[in-house]
Amino acid sequence: MSNESATRIRTKPALSGVVNEAIDRRYGAGFVTDIETDSLPPGLNEAIIRAISARKQEPEWMTEWRLQAYRHWLKMTMPDWAKLSVAPIDLQSISYYAAPKQQPKSLDEVDPKLLETFDKLGVPLHERARLAGVAVDAVFDSVSVGTTFRKDLAEVGVIFCSMSEAIREHPDLVRKYLGTVVPVGDNYFAALNSAVFSDGSFVFIPKGVRCPMELSTYFRINAGHTGQFERTMIIAEAGAYVSYLEGCTAPMRDENQLHAAVVELVVMERAEIKYSTVQNWYPGDEEGRGGIYNFVTKRGDCRGDDSKLTWTQVETGSAITWKYPSCILRGDRSIGQFYSVALTHHRQQADTGTKMIHLGKHTKSKIVSKGISAGRSSNSYRGLVKVARGAQGARNHTQCDSLLIGKQCGAHTFPYIEVKNPTATIEHEATTSKISDEQMFYCRSRGIGEEDAVSLIVDGFCRQVFRELPMEFAVEAKKLLEVSLEGAVG
Amino acid sequence: MSACVPLLDEVLKQAAVGQPYFDGAESAWLAQLRQGERAVLAREGLPDRHNEAWKYTSLRALAQQRFIIGDSEAGQRPVPETELHLPGVDGPRIVFVHGVFRADLSSLQEMPAGLEVTTLGQVLSTGAASLRSWMERPIADGAAAFERMNLVMATDGVSLRVKAGFHIEAPVHLLYLGIDTDAKLAWHTRAHIELQAGAELSLVEHYAGSSQSEQFATVVSEIRMHEDARLQLTQIQHATEAVTLVRHEHFHLAPRAHVGMHTIELGGALVRHEIETLLEGEGAIFDTCGLFAPQARQHVDIRLDIRHQARDTRSSATWRGIADQRGHGVFHGGIVIERGADGADARLHNKNLLLSDRAEIDTQPVLEIYADEVQAAHGATVGQINEQALFYLRSRGLPLAEARRLLMVAFCREILDGIFPQSLQEYLAERLIKHLPLSMQG
Repeated sequence: MSNESATRIRTKPALSGVVNEAIDRRYGAGFVTDIETDSLPPGLNEAIIRAISARKQEPEWMTEWRLQAYRHWLKMTMPDWAKLSVAPIDLQSISYYAAPKQQPKSLDEVDPKLLETFDKLGVPLHERARLAGVAVDAVFDSVSVGTTFRKDLAEVGVIFCSMSEAIREHPDLVRKYLGTVVPVGDNYFAALNSAVFSDGSFVFIPKGVRCPMELSTYFRINAGHTGQFERTMIIAEAGAYVSYLEGCTAPMRDENQLHAAVVELVVMERAEIKYSTVQNWYPGDEEGRGGIYNFVTKRGDCRGDDSKLTWTQVETGSAITWKYPSCILRGDRSIGQFYSVALTHHRQQADTGTKMIHLGKHTKSKIVSKGISAGRSSNSYRGLVKVARGAQGARNHTQCDSLLIGKQCGAHTFPYIEVKNPTATIEHEATTSKISDEQMFYCRSRGIGEEDAVSLIVDGFCRQVFRELPMEFAVEAKKLLEVSLEGAVG
Repeated sequence: MSACVPLLDEVLKQAAVGQPYFDGAESAWLAQLRQGERAVLAREGLPDRHNEAWKYTSLRALAQQRFIIGDSEAGQRPVPETELHLPGVDGPRIVFVHGVFRADLSSLQEMPAGLEVTTLGQVLSTGAASLRSWMERPIADGAAAFERMNLVMATDGVSLRVKAGFHIEAPVHLLYLGIDTDAKLAWHTRAHIELQAGAELSLVEHYAGSSQSEQFATVVSEIRMHEDARLQLTQIQHATEAVTLVRHEHFHLAPRAHVGMHTIELGGALVRHEIETLLEGEGAIFDTCGLFAPQARQHVDIRLDIRHQARDTRSSATWRGIADQRGHGVFHGGIVIERGADGADARLHNKNLLLSDRAEIDTQPVLEIYADEVQAAHGATVGQINEQALFYLRSRGLPLAEARRLLMVAFCREILDGIFPQSLQEYLAERLIKHLPLSMQG
């Protein structure tokens, strides 16, 4: 029968060596670049929003849009339904705008220190970018500083620029789509983002164009006390295709930093968007001090018939993750997919999953979620599969597996299944991979050490998700997990 | 609390006046407990759909209704003899009409050794301390408004105890009846069931009646299982479709205690059934199977909350739902494995058939795991009758309606098969077929 949601959790006691090492691994990307930032004073009110809008030289309608969102937000309260324990956030103590002082006109003018930062992170700018064949719109704090491969993209009509630039140069496009997937009053953090968003990426793939390269943005939170409020928008017109990569890493910080991003995707007839994320923000120290608060609203609207949207995420960072990349399957025969690996340790908390809203006829969705929790962390999957009354022949298959490493962590599963159409059908059955005595015994009997065996099995546990990542990201994701397991072996 | 909630207003008004509960055996602690809970109820009101535990069940229509609380004639209302029997359930019979114990309808003459059946009023008048500690068990936040309402308003109830080491062979029949009356009645009753160490009991809890007028009832059952006790519990609910029924069962399982439970939910207009189980002792086992089948405009909301608190505890839950016409089925299967409950094994499966484009199924299997070295699995499906199976049967000459009926009963077979006593299995299969609007689809 149909609409499958299955979860299996099974753990093994003999992992203590692995656990301790995994927990003790240091955060590799923790460093602060010393650049003067030109920030607005902390606080949030209409004047601040007008100031942000003015600095970004935005048109009047944009300012009004932000203010409308702000007034909405004032009436809202922070959601508390997630299985997270969130220390109170003082939104008045945050500075809502920070930009590097020197405004570069080309890559050559970019602050060398900044480039050094990207270098440490392995962002392929300059020649490396060309060699890697990746166009990078690197966002440093809140303003885009370098964009490559614009020309190559422009030739086929692809627009890939910062959100601020898009508002200035393609106002009609932005105005047409902004807030149509995630309305200003959608939720507390989305409303906040709409009011104060600083920058982000804007991608437009015209009709019938297959984007010639994978697009990538590296975000990096840098200045202390600045929330990062990214706004990303990707529009794939009829028959278009794009694969978008997003990677995140932030320097060490003692105070919690808020990140409330909004990502809106629009997929028209026969178009396809692949959105991949590797998230490795600072998770806080062993005691849970510091670390990023990651409250993200990501949603894609499969507006056209036969459209397809794939979310793939590897989440290893952040102190708190609150994130549910969703698909609205509006077009007939549209397809939504969600592949996720979420790893938590120390005192990290993650409440993440997806929403698949089946509205069109013969829509299909697939959810594969792998949770690994260690230390004293809490890792929850929360997913909604909704089949509307008119979604004739909808199909969904959900599989979420959890792996518990250690005695003090938690792994939770909260699926919501709401079905109003009696023709919803599915034939696929869930499969699980877990560290069982048999698996361990098999590896050991082949002469593989205990730690190596665990690393091998965990890799296998996540493979189904890694396979969905573009090659460059798959390498990084695998490495991220390896780093945590490497220590375990040695 | 919102300004106008007639349902609650009536309760609060009556609770404030104070009336003789439990045969007038109201003691000071109970009066105090009730006043305290009344105040909480007045403050919190009824849960709305923003409350996660009530996300899929709206109380808005119910809250606007006005019921007469308690039936002064419940002690005399005639009940046809046929209402009192279930095939094969031939042990002692305990009958409540509108929440009031009816000695004349009950059959308690030939009590098996080791079994004690009394009303709560009688227990209270003897000042039993255990009852007090049970009733003073803290009630959760706003989601448990009906549990609280029951504590404040219950007028009677049964106390059922099996002494240590006794095995009660013949199944005990506990019958709750709602009879047709001119008035819209509300009634609230409780059951306190205790199986002492090594005791065994087979109990059939049965909701039935003929009420065509609207009724609102709450029943709260406290079940305490001591070491090595075994309870075989069969619940049959076929109240009329004029009845709103809210039930809450609270199980405590000591080491190696075992509860095997089968639940068939057929009747009721709005049904909410909460099963809360604490596996407190090492090696305790809780098995639950159930079937709910909302048709017409029925709304059935099943809520399991199973907490593994000790080592090597086991639980399994197998539930089936069939929603047809404008029926709305809600299933929440919550399993929590607490820290230290190593070696726990929990399984939960919920399969549903959605047969009409006006029907709805919402299912939510939840796992919360805080221990390692555990095994937990859950699964949920929503689908329809397998077209190929249907085709196969029709190709063998079966009419469509017959083929559907066969497949539907097969779908429920896993639940029906385990029911005790066996004589109930065929009886319930027939009732189920009658309940399902199969002919309309033939």
